[in-house]
Amino acid sequence: MAELRVTAVHKSFGPVRALRGADLTVRSGTLMAVLGPSGSGKTTLLRCIAGFEPVDAGEIRLDGQQIAASGRTVRPERRRIAVVPQEGALFPHLPVRGNVAYGLDRHSRRTGRVESVLALVGLAGFEDRMPHHLSGGQQQRVAVARALAPHPRVVLLDEPFSALDAALRTAVRQDVRRALRADGATAVLVTHDQAEALSVADEVAVMHDGRIVQSGPPDLVYSAPADPWVAGFVGEAVWLPAEMTGDRAHTPLGPVPVVATGDRPPAMAGQVLLRPEQIEVVVPVARAAVTATVVGHDFQGHDALLALRLADGTPVVARIFDPASLPHVMGGEVGLRVRGAARAFPAPPQTPQ
Amino acid sequence: MRTTRPGGAASVALVTLLTLGPAACGGGSEGTPKASDKKITVYSGRSESLVKPLLEDFQETSGITVEARYGETAAIAAQLQEEGSRTPADVFLAQDAGALGAVAGKDLFAALPDVLLDKVPAAYRDEGGEWVGVTGRSRTMVYNIDQVAEKDLPESVFDLTEPEWKGKVGVAPTNGSFQAFVTAMRVEHGEERTQDFLHGLKANDAPIREGNGAIVADVENGTLATGLVNHYYVYELAKEKGTSVDTLKAKNHFFANGDIGGLVNVSGVGVLKDSGDDPDVRAFADYLLGTQAQTYFAQETYEYPLVAGVASAPGLPKLPSLKTPDIDLGDLDDLQTTIAMIKESGLA
Amino acid sequence: MAPAAGVRRRVRRMLPRPALAAAATAAVGVALLPLVYLSVRVGDAGWPRISSEVFTSRTGQLTARSVALAGLVTAASTVFGVTSAFLVTRTDLPARRLFGVLAALPLAVPSYVAAFAWVSTVDGFEGFWAAALVLTLVSYPYVFLPVAAALTRADPAQEEVARSLGSGPWHTFSAVTLRQVRPAMGAGALLVALYVLSDFGAVSVLRTDVFTRAVFTSVSLGFDRTGALVLATVLVVITLLIVSGEQLTRRRAAHYARLGGAGRPPTRLRLGRLRWLAASGLAGMGALALGLPAASLARWFGEGVSRPGSLTGLATAAGNSFTLSAAGAGLTILLALPLGLLGARTPGPVAVVLDRLAYLSHALPGLVIGLSLVFFGINVAYPLYQSVWLLALAYAALFLPLAVAAVGAAVLQAPPALEEVARSLGRRRFHVLRTVTVPLAAPGIGAGAVLVFLTCMKELPATLLLRPTGMDTLATELWSQTSVSAYAAAAPYAALLVLLAAAPTWWLSARTGVLAGGGS
Repeated sequence: MAELRVTAVHKSFGPVRALRGADLTVRSGTLMAVLGPSGSGKTTLLRCIAGFEPVDAGEIRLDGQQIAASGRTVRPERRRIAVVPQEGALFPHLPVRGNVAYGLDRHSRRTGRVESVLALVGLAGFEDRMPHHLSGGQQQRVAVARALAPHPRVVLLDEPFSALDAALRTAVRQDVRRALRADGATAVLVTHDQAEALSVADEVAVMHDGRIVQSGPPDLVYSAPADPWVAGFVGEAVWLPAEMTGDRAHTPLGPVPVVATGDRPPAMAGQVLLRPEQIEVVVPVARAAVTATVVGHDFQGHDALLALRLADGTPVVARIFDPASLPHVMGGEVGLRVRGAARAFPAPPQTPQ
Repeated sequence: MRTTRPGGAASVALVTLLTLGPAACGGGSEGTPKASDKKITVYSGRSESLVKPLLEDFQETSGITVEARYGETAAIAAQLQEEGSRTPADVFLAQDAGALGAVAGKDLFAALPDVLLDKVPAAYRDEGGEWVGVTGRSRTMVYNIDQVAEKDLPESVFDLTEPEWKGKVGVAPTNGSFQAFVTAMRVEHGEERTQDFLHGLKANDAPIREGNGAIVADVENGTLATGLVNHYYVYELAKEKGTSVDTLKAKNHFFANGDIGGLVNVSGVGVLKDSGDDPDVRAFADYLLGTQAQTYFAQETYEYPLVAGVASAPGLPKLPSLKTPDIDLGDLDDLQTTIAMIKESGLA
Repeated sequence: MAPAAGVRRRVRRMLPRPALAAAATAAVGVALLPLVYLSVRVGDAGWPRISSEVFTSRTGQLTARSVALAGLVTAASTVFGVTSAFLVTRTDLPARRLFGVLAALPLAVPSYVAAFAWVSTVDGFEGFWAAALVLTLVSYPYVFLPVAAALTRADPAQEEVARSLGSGPWHTFSAVTLRQVRPAMGAGALLVALYVLSDFGAVSVLRTDVFTRAVFTSVSLGFDRTGALVLATVLVVITLLIVSGEQLTRRRAAHYARLGGAGRPPTRLRLGRLRWLAASGLAGMGALALGLPAASLARWFGEGVSRPGSLTGLATAAGNSFTLSAAGAGLTILLALPLGLLGARTPGPVAVVLDRLAYLSHALPGLVIGLSLVFFGINVAYPLYQSVWLLALAYAALFLPLAVAAVGAAVLQAPPALEEVARSLGRRRFHVLRTVTVPLAAPGIGAGAVLVFLTCMKELPATLLLRPTGMDTLATELWSQTSVSAYAAAAPYAALLVLLAAAPTWWLSARTGVLAGGGS
């Protein structure tokens, strides 16, 4: 198990600058999720780490040893970094056993490593199946087992769950997480799905325009985004214009306690970030300080997002956890209350596309 | 005989054969000094079915192994020119004199000893003594007896440009034998008359065929009334049909009285430079001009033996009654002029 | 340091896999041997000779006629090839499998056999249109096979979408289906065009005055090697134009095999009353392309009394044909592998140029290729001269494009993601090539090998010039017998040649998928 350190890596494809000084540190034995929208450079980063692409500048070290720098590329087969590609990419001409044993030397094939990694991903007894006889989820698990089998220093997973349907995705994700942890693997998971990143990873690195803009534990990245872009990308954001007085912000929703972002003290004027779950819908209306009109409704099963408009026209989104118990007719009036503290940001928010 | 391995299971065989291939069929004789090693290599522009029995007989009587490569005479001539002094060949057995002249022109042949040359009349050998004729072929007009009455047959080949023969005379202008005939006509009758003849054929819509064999086949089946060919093609056809020439519709008409239409051309042999002193090669050349081989040609291919004392096949006019103009059959410069004229006439 | 690194980076971008590129360059070198020979000989000829040979009205006529013949045959082959592929794979045509095989089988008939058959059956059958007909009949499988394979693999979803958007079947075919099979069609058409330019058998028997015939005539008329080679050079120039033209119209898109997910069989178009019309059309094509030669061979055999030497002789010739063609196919595929891999894996200007160069000798007549390998063997590789290997090298020079096209398509069956995964598991590139890429591409590579194999079986002029002394093949025996009018003796060789070539053709046709999945 090893520490992976990516420092100021640049990579261009012709005029397209895919990586513009990406930095990333993955601690030994942890699962790091690299989260970013498509086109942010996350797959390029992964391919540079794997050794499929040379880097133009910067360096990548594994356990202190340099594996990539400008003009120097340790070959993929020498890195001991195993990859789980998007579609699993099982070798279609080999049975499950042949796939999993592909990276093993003759000796380790006989020590039962194939069986034990297959057990780890919950596919004990599938050794002799051919890939096309497996379901999508099973193929993905075999791909993970195959990557884990030779005890790589790092496992790289490139959007491995995106092709699976929603129900299966959660299950496979959890199983893979468990398998990686049980094997003590250091892993990097690339994904554009923020829920996936937050739920599965020990740490999340958010990528934007070829750079890692923030990394840290999932809860921290969610609750304390480094900038408005991250805030908007990692979860739903409610932006409110605000005037600061000490540790309170005056917003259209009334006075809210604020926490500064980073080391900067809250500016005198700016805006604050609230998450929809911080906005509580209260009935009856009379008991609330602020009222709003329901303008839209996004039912998500376990909860729902309510689009609202304040009297002064400011749009607000609230998350409600018991959708059935609340009246939310279009055009209806509801009362609002804020829970917890808001984050203050100086500049007007740019909304991520 | 070389051994070859019959293919086994097709799927596996490919790889196996890749490794076995070269062992099974090694290269030809390499640039070894051409002393007597009881082995000679013959490049033959004459066909295998014709030459092979002869070579086998020679091999048996002399104890000298003959390796033979068969091909088109013209292609082999080109190959010999390309191979130059490194050729594995000892002997070139050619269908016609022009090809021998082409190889001799590149200075690739050894001079033949006079004893050998003198077996053959001077008209049928190279003036420089670098090749010698083996058999003679007469030009004839083949005709279909149902379409042309014997009394209507022309006395001279020049008559064929008359209107009555319009569309009736098949020719093979790209064939060496036709070219030799035209060359001889030039020598005998001058450029102008030859040119008129060629233009006359063209103006008469002479049907064009790729070779003599095609003309004879078409005359036999009635598609063509007549054609200008070599005399032995009707015999080949009869043999293929399993009958005698007498039962064929296609008959030879020999132009008599020294008409140029009855020109005699030769097939011949030349010895490659490095093999000039090889006794095995010499033995082979002697064999070709010996009674046995000459008789074989006379009986099997109905060609004219060129060596005195061997009779030609029954039914053929005597060789001396045919035209043998005073030209060098292998003279290439002459040939080039001929070709230019044939092209110019629009026949090829 | 920075500029050096920049240069290195640029070089790497141009040529990402130097070893592969080197191997591909070597392979192209083999294909270009004839051009080296041509330039040496034509250079010897000197400018006055060249210009007197090239700048004549006859050369102009030859060019026009050759190009017209190639264009006509290519167009006709494309129409027949695509139509029969569509009928066999996408409609409820009766006896589809039978027709699938029937449409591929003419590949087994050498053009000279087909031409002979026609000449001896139809009176006065000769000239441009006759040659166009015969060449179309023997070469449309070059289009049929790849297009049928592409139609079987193509995603039917696109067509379904088009239909659902209100597009009629004909419009869907022309707008969607044809577009999907365009690369396959283009590759096939290119092979047909170059094949027609290089063919000597049919044009000589049918007396059509085109370039190859002029080249041969030059050699036999006065043994004028130089004139022949100068004319051959013009043929190379024509090829260069065709090949670059085809490249310009080509859109670069690698259609890798789908990973996972099962392909659905396409829905079949109901032909209704047209079913029987279509079936009789295909049956008619089959009769012209196969039945007529077969009947002709039978007639030769029946009418003549000459017979091939012996059964052993026949078997030996068949064995030799097999050995030589297997060696030729093996070597050609081996050389095509780096070229095909390079084209599929690292598309770029270098790969494109190498690929196109491989085609340049493809339209040269076998005689010229033969002479150039004589030149090479005598001057460079004397130990190989008149061995199987020099002939195999000639076959490679002649037929490399067939193999490159097949390898390129086959490698698409092994997506690069698989290779990357394999390398990330610690396996070296060569090991990966051996354990992943080649096994996956094997069926396609095998198809290429088979195509080259049966083309080698039919080849005559280069075989005559280069075969080991004393080694007779079916094709040389066939030639040898017909040259003395022994057609009955020739017939069994021709029949055996066609039969031996038919087996691999059957397999080629089977693997396009037209024989699988009978459901309608």
